[in-house]
Amino acid sequence: MSTLYERLGGAPAVDAAVDIFYRRVLADGRIARFFDTVDMERQAAKQKAFLTMVFGGPNSYTGKDMREGHKHLVARGLNDSHVDAVLENLSTTLRQLGVDEKDVQEVAALANSARDDVLNR
Amino acid sequence: MTILTLGEAPIEIAEGQTVLAALLAAGVDAPYSCQAGVCQTCLHQAIEGAVPETAQIGLSDAQKAQGYFMACVCVPKEPLKIIRAGDLHDRIDVCVAAIDRISHNVIRLRLEPDQRFAYRPGQFLALTAPGGVTRNYSIASHPDVDAFIELHVRVIPGGQMSGLIAEKLARGDRLQVSNPTGMCFYEGADPERPIVLAGAGTGLAPLWGIVRDALQQQHRGPIRLYHGARERTGLYLVEELQALADRHESFSYRPCVLNDSESGANDLATAVVAAETDPTNTDFFLCGGADLIGRLKRDLYLKGAKLQRLRTDIFLPAA
Repeated sequence: MSTLYERLGGAPAVDAAVDIFYRRVLADGRIARFFDTVDMERQAAKQKAFLTMVFGGPNSYTGKDMREGHKHLVARGLNDSHVDAVLENLSTTLRQLGVDEKDVQEVAALANSARDDVLNR
Repeated sequence: MTILTLGEAPIEIAEGQTVLAALLAAGVDAPYSCQAGVCQTCLHQAIEGAVPETAQIGLSDAQKAQGYFMACVCVPKEPLKIIRAGDLHDRIDVCVAAIDRISHNVIRLRLEPDQRFAYRPGQFLALTAPGGVTRNYSIASHPDVDAFIELHVRVIPGGQMSGLIAEKLARGDRLQVSNPTGMCFYEGADPERPIVLAGAGTGLAPLWGIVRDALQQQHRGPIRLYHGARERTGLYLVEELQALADRHESFSYRPCVLNDSESGANDLATAVVAAETDPTNTDFFLCGGADLIGRLKRDLYLKGAKLQRLRTDIFLPAA
């Protein structure tokens, strides 16, 4: 049986998803302020690592990375509502790419598992 | 036979040996880590001679164009002269060939280097005045066209460097420049697609070099240059740009003046985003202050521009 990552299309699918997802979050008034617009290349690379992880692909992302990477944002008011907004954008991105609803739910669950690390709880 | 030179120092290298191994054997304190051509810690730049393609896998087009390579996987096939990547501590002596005020607050400085100075139009360098004051300036000249290095210096009230240049510097005076750096240049742009250049104030300097480079390299797509200024008096090189537009049908010059009594307010970022309705396949070159360029880059990206086609050169104030 194929893995989630394989079903979604592997690395090229991640690239396609980053392209849509990053544009969506930057344009989302609820969360745009948490995204740096100066070093967008670095930010896109982080998005790629994150999406590879939630697609169940090969990744070296750890809970500690997620904590360290978002600490300064938690200090600036990052909370559950913002994580909800990110997850909503992620699901919309996948639906836009024609991903099966069952797989959308599986990705959302994987992404949601990072919530406590992201919010440093 | 030595075929490897680091700066001016000959380095012995054996047949089949990598550049990194040769440097280390010669006692050079070269940085390295993975030794597998991945981490880029050992990045060097070939300033004479070509490196094998396999030593450049994973580097950006702009880096490749500048001869960057990974020393740990580079077995040279021909004589190479290299420097450590980003080694900006080396200084080259230059002489002031011309100094002219080309608008109320911009001085055009033309410098003649004592030795060969290789660069791509659009890169920048650090200029050091006698006494040690150092500031970064973009290069406006073209290495194949101009015998001098041209910089556009904005005169800032109370500015240490620009004050010195405006009041004390004269033809024949000597200064120093660093090696050129920066990735905002023409190489890698698609010659068939549009290129759009937008700069505010002396952000025009690198763009003036890039536009002429694109034309020189027979760019076939349209080229649109937007120059933003607070007041009409802030526009400069107007006649030169207009003449270029008259000579080349593919090139258009679009000045944007923020406080203009004649045509009304025309903000650079707003004008570019409004006019560039289909930015998906356009190569952008954006130069100016961090706020303006950050906003422009974000808005163009949201409109569909590709991140790797958005080249920027952000002017940071002296700390």
